[in-house]
Amino acid sequence: MAGSALRRLMAEYKQLTMDPPEGIAAGPISEDNFFEWEALIAGPEGTCFEGGVFPARLVFPPDYPLSPPKMKFICDMFHPNIFADGRVCISILHAPGDDPMGYELSAERWSPVQSVEKILLSVVSMLAEPNDESGANVDAAIMWRERREEFNRIAQKLVRKTLGLPT
Amino acid sequence: MQLVISTVCLALTSAVIGNAYLQKQQFYPAVVYITKSNASMAVIYIQFFVIVFMFGKLLRKIFLGTLRAAEFEHLLERFWYALTETCLAFTVFRDDFNPRFVALFTVLLFLKSFHWLAEERVDFMERSPVLGWLFHIRVGSLLTMLGILDYVLLMHAYNSTLVRGPTVQLVFGFEYAILLTVIASTTIKYVLHAAEMRTDTPWENKAVFLLYTELVIGLIKVVLYLLFVVIMAKIYALPMFVFRPMFFTIRNFRKALNDVIMSRRAIRNMNTLYPDATPEELRQSDNICIICREDMVNHSKKLPCGHIFHTTCLRSWFQRQQTCPTCRLNILRTPAINSMAMPRADDAANPAAAGGAGAVPAGAAVPGAAGVAPGAAAPGAAAGEAVATAAGAAGAAAAPGLDAHTNGAVARNAGAPNFADIFGDASGLSNLAGLPPPPPLLSPFMMQSPFGYFTPPVVPPPPMPLDLTRFNEEELLAMEGNLRQHIEERLKMLRNISLMVDSANLLMQQYQLLVARLPPPATTTATTTTLPAAVAAAAVPVNSSPNPVYDEPSTSRAAAAKVEQTTHHQLSAAAVAAAPSSVVSDQVTIEDLGAEDDDDVDVDVDVMPSTADNCVNVDNEESTELSELRKRRLKFLEERNNSPTTTTTTTTITTTTSSDKTD
Repeated sequence: MAGSALRRLMAEYKQLTMDPPEGIAAGPISEDNFFEWEALIAGPEGTCFEGGVFPARLVFPPDYPLSPPKMKFICDMFHPNIFADGRVCISILHAPGDDPMGYELSAERWSPVQSVEKILLSVVSMLAEPNDESGANVDAAIMWRERREEFNRIAQKLVRKTLGLPT
Repeated sequence: MQLVISTVCLALTSAVIGNAYLQKQQFYPAVVYITKSNASMAVIYIQFFVIVFMFGKLLRKIFLGTLRAAEFEHLLERFWYALTETCLAFTVFRDDFNPRFVALFTVLLFLKSFHWLAEERVDFMERSPVLGWLFHIRVGSLLTMLGILDYVLLMHAYNSTLVRGPTVQLVFGFEYAILLTVIASTTIKYVLHAAEMRTDTPWENKAVFLLYTELVIGLIKVVLYLLFVVIMAKIYALPMFVFRPMFFTIRNFRKALNDVIMSRRAIRNMNTLYPDATPEELRQSDNICIICREDMVNHSKKLPCGHIFHTTCLRSWFQRQQTCPTCRLNILRTPAINSMAMPRADDAANPAAAGGAGAVPAGAAVPGAAGVAPGAAAPGAAAGEAVATAAGAAGAAAAPGLDAHTNGAVARNAGAPNFADIFGDASGLSNLAGLPPPPPLLSPFMMQSPFGYFTPPVVPPPPMPLDLTRFNEEELLAMEGNLRQHIEERLKMLRNISLMVDSANLLMQQYQLLVARLPPPATTTATTTTLPAAVAAAAVPVNSSPNPVYDEPSTSRAAAAKVEQTTHHQLSAAAVAAAPSSVVSDQVTIEDLGAEDDDDVDVDVDVMPSTADNCVNVDNEESTELSELRKRRLKFLEERNNSPTTTTTTTTITTTTSSDKTD
């Protein structure tokens, strides 16, 4: 019998494969290592990220699900809640106790009840509705608030980039 | 790159040796020549390091195979730190600096790297889906080899220190001792992981074993480091080079200690505060532990909020956080009395209030009723005085809309006794008494009541509702609200309960005083005109969560039987607990409590007043039951006498005299 973290990840992988939510695909990069996943997230429809497919990497701690995984987009992203290096900043990925931005309710934080699927769904909704209160990327937050057209233009550019289309 | 370096190095070495041999033509002069020339020696030294490096690669291939990227990264990182510390150590021992010294440090670093790798490998075991026999052979032999080497080198350092006094061997001896502890902890971890892998079921106590291993090893390491620092500071200088590892060791030890404490607390909490989930509850839930996503077959616990998890999963979570993983209820701040988490009060309030006159389900065993009952009770208790007048009207009414259990219900015309009076009495009494609130119940279901005055009910509690399918999703959801209003309702409810218990306590004390004063031959009166007691202590915990739990009826029944024998023909008094008025409880547990005839004293339904040793299982739904019983009692009296004055009499103290009066 393998460790509980591994078993849980296997169960989640199985569930995600059997019953994948729309616009999301995720799985371990290699079956030898279930603690590093790659996820593909489709930009939600009706938003400036529509049409894009954004690859991201999830790294799980050995004590998953007691601690949250880390998520990082491995493509260029321009979004108020995504750091310039691709790290995603949403409350569900923060363990209760650490509060990098100082505004999150503990009720929104990580708990073992959360799952990869829920994380990815939260990220999709984050793409659709950026939270400009938390400035992981302050430039993007300001642009989102004040110059929406410009933001949309950059987002569309990113979308084309992820699809390999000329921008 | 490595190949190029090795080749260049090899070429240089051959050039140096060839040159020396060409010049001197003989072995011995050639060696002398090389050792005399600094440049040649530098080349030889470099060659030596290259050989060590290659040897290390060879060993790695044999014992570890290919390194994973993470392993390599960690190795590199730790290696550089260790190298820096070694350089720092050189400064302390700059007097003995010679090639032998460097060689010894090289060996130490070399061995250290393998210790780290072995540690990483064993940690990886838990995360690896498949491990072949090769893995076990490799790890096993590596651990054995490292252990033996550590021991031999430690002994060597020890002996040389004994013989020659403190030298640099002191440092080595200490370093190898630390490495031995590392090997010990790695071996223990390996054995634990391997043992778990052999079984098909998760090994629940492994985490605890690991925790204690960590603690003990951490303690040994801390002691070793402190000793070393003290010794070194006395003989040489303050050993700067161990400060970093010492700091990390102490930090790890603190963490382990903290973990152990938290774990123990979690275990204690789980053993005392939370009940095991019963098979019925497991059946009713979806039977999956949401933490590990596996079936819950056994060893699962139910939290006060009604959520069920594996005991072990919960324990490891509680080591970090004392909240329910699902609803984030803070379980440490929530006394277990709240464990009967009240459902959404407002949902049930409407039907309860609407029922002006309706059916009281008379059957004690109304399956399905249990889950809803507190819903009806909550608003009553919460609203307190405000509802008091309405309570009478609503009291007799079963909540419509809970039609699921109106079969067997007996329609009654609701008399409307003035509950406000009763309530006023009760609060007055409780104010007088000033009794401290009862201690919080530790185990919501199993603990005996702290107030043992109430006789146990004779009628067994209703059976479990077999299924909850009659509730729709919203109703089920509504039962576990955790919004502000629900919590407020619960708090109000609890306050009312405490008030009620205080007053009941006082009443029983007064009653006992009276009984003590009465002449012994009470039997004469009892045989003729004893009024059946309407003592209300219903031991039917009603759980709002979808999985109600009931008390074991056996103990209370046995106790009641005993009481019945002893106090059979004695005076029976109706010590009705004056409680805050609750609205309807559509569920009645003590059948016909108020409706029995005077002659029916022997009927097993009657409830005798008891002394303090009769224990009753009471939970926080008591108010519901109490008020229900009292209400029925009052109704009964009313029906019999049509004199509303008796109600007030009954509520205070009903002794033989008062019961005679009612007759």
